[in-house]
Amino acid sequence: MAGLHHLYLTVGPARFRVASTWQRPLDQLAALYGDYPASQDSYADFTVRLEPEKPWRRYIRPSVHISGDFWLPDAAPLPLNQSLLAAEMGMNLQMALGWRRHLLLHASSVEKDGKALLMTGLSGSGKSTLSAMLAEKGWRFMGDEFALLNPDTGMMHSFPRLISLKNEAIAAMQAILPESRFGPLMTGTPKGDIRHIIPPADAVQKMADTARPALLLFPRFGYDPILRHMGKSEIFVRLTQASTNYVALGETGFRTLTKFVDTVPTKAMDYQSGEQAEELIDSLWNKLS
Amino acid sequence: MMRNAQSLVDALREPGMVLSLDGACWTDLISIARAESLIGSLAHRLTGIEVPEQVQPVLKDAIQATDLARRQALWEADCARRALTSLNCKTVLMKGTAYVAADLDAGVGRSIGDLDIMVARDELSAVEELLLDAGWEWVKPDPYDDQYYRDHMHELPPLIHRERDRMIDVHHTTLPLTAGPTPNAGAMLENAVRLDSGLYVMAPADMLLHSIAHLFADGDLAGGLRNLWDIDQLIRQFAQVDDNFWMELGARAKLHQLEPHLARSLRLTALLYGTPVCENLAGPAKVTDNLYIHRLLARDGWGRENRKFTRQAFYIRSHWLRMPPLMLARHLWTKWRKA
Amino acid sequence: MSQLYRTAALDGIIQHPLDSMTLIFQKSSGVTHMVADPVPAILEVMAEDSLTASDVAQRLSASYDLEDNTDVADIVLARLAELCTLGLVEQV
Repeated sequence: MAGLHHLYLTVGPARFRVASTWQRPLDQLAALYGDYPASQDSYADFTVRLEPEKPWRRYIRPSVHISGDFWLPDAAPLPLNQSLLAAEMGMNLQMALGWRRHLLLHASSVEKDGKALLMTGLSGSGKSTLSAMLAEKGWRFMGDEFALLNPDTGMMHSFPRLISLKNEAIAAMQAILPESRFGPLMTGTPKGDIRHIIPPADAVQKMADTARPALLLFPRFGYDPILRHMGKSEIFVRLTQASTNYVALGETGFRTLTKFVDTVPTKAMDYQSGEQAEELIDSLWNKLS
Repeated sequence: MMRNAQSLVDALREPGMVLSLDGACWTDLISIARAESLIGSLAHRLTGIEVPEQVQPVLKDAIQATDLARRQALWEADCARRALTSLNCKTVLMKGTAYVAADLDAGVGRSIGDLDIMVARDELSAVEELLLDAGWEWVKPDPYDDQYYRDHMHELPPLIHRERDRMIDVHHTTLPLTAGPTPNAGAMLENAVRLDSGLYVMAPADMLLHSIAHLFADGDLAGGLRNLWDIDQLIRQFAQVDDNFWMELGARAKLHQLEPHLARSLRLTALLYGTPVCENLAGPAKVTDNLYIHRLLARDGWGRENRKFTRQAFYIRSHWLRMPPLMLARHLWTKWRKA
Repeated sequence: MSQLYRTAALDGIIQHPLDSMTLIFQKSSGVTHMVADPVPAILEVMAEDSLTASDVAQRLSASYDLEDNTDVADIVLARLAELCTLGLVEQV
């Protein structure tokens, strides 16, 4: 059986060993994660594996099967030119199924003055793009996929992976960022076109800094700009749906999430452009104590 | 360090050995233990050992995850108990749920999936009806598969609870009816031990023999290291509290036609985990024991199964154990046609 | 109507009110239930006692201002049946 190439990555509090039949995705990861802390000791919380679906598929129309310490039985393989996406999905999968040290919320987050703004919502809500945009406007980027809530302290921890841009968002960010911040363009993925960007330098340098959750938004793109009140019951239910490990954490998850819902101001936000969103966010942020 | 599951076996057997592991070896060990569903058992085994601080949270997570599995398993068992109260039948918990319900060492840190219960064969349809009333549903409504299960297998087709999303397997014996050995299910039910909850678990010798039957008859030895760890833990605990355990075990193995299976698994668990076993029951070592060991350790440091050929050989064998050839061909054909 | 009911260990649940609803975290199952009135009130008046549905209805009427002409006993009976299914209340 063929050996595997491998690479260690540290993102926020999590350490990964990414093992792959092919060197290429690891080279891409190494380039994009070049400024992240390097592993000195080869410890890892999770192993991600990228392998051919069948041994002969290593060379003939190669497809990447994603697995690792935690895996899904029906995960569909990706073509080899999307292996960077496969690696990112593999790391997400380990977090979603295996991470227990924080309550995981499927949300993007940014920080200012030690306070965190969280944005959660369905795919297409724009939470990832909004966090990338705010990260270029004075906020510290904390993550666009998972926000980590510490059950003991109630603080948010950063998980600043590469930012994943989809479709129209790619051109929007290309307009304001240098080419050197971008990974390869991957077309025809299950989610359309995808291009990763390297988070700003301070997001990586300060990835161990925590922040107090100060505002939660449920953004919705494509509607007239408005901020709407949400009842706590609705917020609670939607956050349980947005958490991959709420049930797995048992009583700890319950206590952490109820405290969060009781203390963090929350609004639904409709918007049609980044400028509108920024204005609405500023109006709320400036009123926070 | 050897690139196979030997490091996991060593760590379970002699926890102090982990003190010599470096970072990369730890990462291998964790991947292997997760792949073999033994990470919780390993984490408990390493309690009190000074593991590196990088590893501590991984082990703590594993302990908490299996604590939750334990609670959920006991809750599912209790849900089944409540659903079946009116029938007043003996409901015998099996495998992992039985170990935690009876508070046995084998349940410590164990991962637990589906709920397996055994009831008397003539209670099956009444049990099925009550479970359906209480919110369980067929996983796949396929008449061929149903008929297949009812005619040839040792359980009802699996049911899943529509709200809790948890599976239950209802057995009336411990092996497929077409397999060679015929364990005496009636005797297992007869001897089952009542717990405070009103649910039952098998008597010690039967419980061990069921675990052994499961290792050999119900698959391709996949998950065998975990299965043998169960066997090791059951033996150590039962043999310690009851001087007559080995005698009883020999007698029950004979009754259930599992003597060769018992002998083989005693040799394997002694080889792997250093289990103190009765030499008479274990019998002389066989050359094929090494093939089994080889197969059981077939996993590399990335957590991958390796030595595919051995795996495949065992897989084919295990199918033949379960079903006479013609029936197997029919079963596969039906599957291919539908695919 | 003489069936007796009892709450399953009250220290086994954590109640947390949220605006219109109440969350009940059940430690034994790990399940979070979201319930509306009068369920929290029913659990409260039942305390640790074994009661019939009409006992519960009487206690509710004594402690709460209920609308006239409401068939409290029927409502209580229906809620108790649901709570039994969830394992929050047991028949004794």
